[in-house]
Amino acid sequence: MIRSMPEPFSPIPGLRIEGLSRRLGERSLLADLNLEVGPGECLALLGPSGCGKTTTLRLLAGLDPASCGRILLDGDDITRQDAGKRRVAMVFQSYALYPHLSVADNLALGLRIRGMAAKERDSRIASVLELLQLGELSLRRPAQLSGGQRQRVALARALLRQPRLVLLDEPMSNLDAQLREELRPELRRLLCGREQPVVYVTHDQPEAMGMADRIAVLRDGQLQQGGSARELYERPANRFVAAFLGRPAINLWPAAAGRQLGLRPEHLRPVPAGGLPARVQRREWWGNQQLFWLESAQGELRMLLPAEQELPESLQLGWQSEHEHWFDSHSGDRLPAP
Amino acid sequence: MRSLLLLWSLAPLAWQLYTSLVTPEALVQGTGVEAGAYWTLENYRQVWSAEPPIWRYLLNSAVVGAATTALTLALAVPCAYGLQRQGGRLRWAVTLTLLATAIFPTVLLFLALLQLARALGLANNLLALSLPYAALCLPLAVLLLRAAFADLPPELEDAARLEGLDLPQRLRHVLLPLLAPSLASTAILVFLFSWNEYPIALTWISRPELLTLPPAIARIAGSSLFTVPYGAFAAATVLGSLPLLLIVLIFQRSIVSGLTQGAIKG
Repeated sequence: MIRSMPEPFSPIPGLRIEGLSRRLGERSLLADLNLEVGPGECLALLGPSGCGKTTTLRLLAGLDPASCGRILLDGDDITRQDAGKRRVAMVFQSYALYPHLSVADNLALGLRIRGMAAKERDSRIASVLELLQLGELSLRRPAQLSGGQRQRVALARALLRQPRLVLLDEPMSNLDAQLREELRPELRRLLCGREQPVVYVTHDQPEAMGMADRIAVLRDGQLQQGGSARELYERPANRFVAAFLGRPAINLWPAAAGRQLGLRPEHLRPVPAGGLPARVQRREWWGNQQLFWLESAQGELRMLLPAEQELPESLQLGWQSEHEHWFDSHSGDRLPAP
Repeated sequence: MRSLLLLWSLAPLAWQLYTSLVTPEALVQGTGVEAGAYWTLENYRQVWSAEPPIWRYLLNSAVVGAATTALTLALAVPCAYGLQRQGGRLRWAVTLTLLATAIFPTVLLFLALLQLARALGLANNLLALSLPYAALCLPLAVLLLRAAFADLPPELEDAARLEGLDLPQRLRHVLLPLLAPSLASTAILVFLFSWNEYPIALTWISRPELLTLPPAIARIAGSSLFTVPYGAFAAATVLGSLPLLLIVLIFQRSIVSGLTQGAIKG
């Protein structure tokens, strides 16, 4: 389970976050976060900007101090440990390559500082360069590399240290959409399934679903829900998670007794009679499917249909009750079906 | 327009060079002098063979300049770093105070500085001159370097921290190499100040062999009380400008190079 109550020291492998908080003055950036990430598991922290996901990453890395709570890595409490001693590797959104050093020197700097013998250093660097197919670029400076190449160098630098924990801060947001899709499986192959836990920060929902074993959705420094992509999609814990996951976004409309009904666009269907009357406003044809924008008594609705299906201008909408999501219209929390 | 600008800035220098290369008669009478008595190196010979010779002053100024520059940078780098990274709420107050100090007229200080030099026994000590020089340069140097630190992407330092580099190592391997252009231009400004400084040098140093260039030039005497040795002044000034030209030419390349390119996705 992703939500877990803090309990005394347990020497379990992997990453364990207990009641982690960070406040800056009056502002709470992260409040009472509890999470576990097993060895080799990839957890995506997903949320809009300012939700606390990068804050969490910086706390895990030791770049910012925690206000309270504990971080346990393989059973060791690293909450107050110096960033340089944690053996935590991080890939930054901007890659943060040293611009004055060649690719090889970028990789070598950290190892050299730790006093590793030149021979071992060179063989390690060579193997990582080969793993990431960067061999022929090793003498270039970061400015002479493409975005994708820079990202691979940043990844190489992270893997080189044989870290106990790998953190990635929006590692693909500077790449174009096509490259991002291409890199996703490669990134998974390189990072996940090794010994160390991986925490992956993104605001991109398909990326989180494609990369991670589990997803934790954050909002305003609060964990909204954690679980597999499927759990989050099929049983969102609240309205925010329901709306944040899934494109096109879920349809929400007010129902009786302070409730809100949510229906995903792919779950609406035209029915012969007895449904919700609606009119077609606009159609987006996407090739593999099509999105209809509908006008109804419940406001504007989105409906996703197979690409070949034609619709009359006026129609009735139906759905299956198992696809209904009910939320409290005030708090947004998930409610059982009435 | 460009040639007008060149004329504006180069004409005084050319005039200086011309003055240093002609005889006093030629300077006063212009074209009336016969060709053989017009151009001369006598002025250079005079300043070179004076007692002490001008290279002695050049050396003194270089020593003071180097010491001042080294001291200023050694103090300004940690100040600027601390102000930028740890300054917090005080940063703007400190920055404004620095600015106020940087624009404070130094002439108002030199009597007080003289008292200090007497009290601490620092008069007639060449290296001690770099103390007030560094103190006067420090505000500007800190301001310039703080801005340079602020321009560096903070992730670079974060990445280095995660790789286990402590603060001195981060400065040495990551931050200062990237600041090289700013360090070079700050160093040149400080060196220039020290090279040209007159009132403090005049009051702190009285022994002739310890003078720096500006007071030394002012002391060059004519053949009689009533002649002004324009030619010798000019020759000494030309000789005093050459090292500066050389330094700027050497450092120019590192000033211009845009080293931070590619640190962040462009």
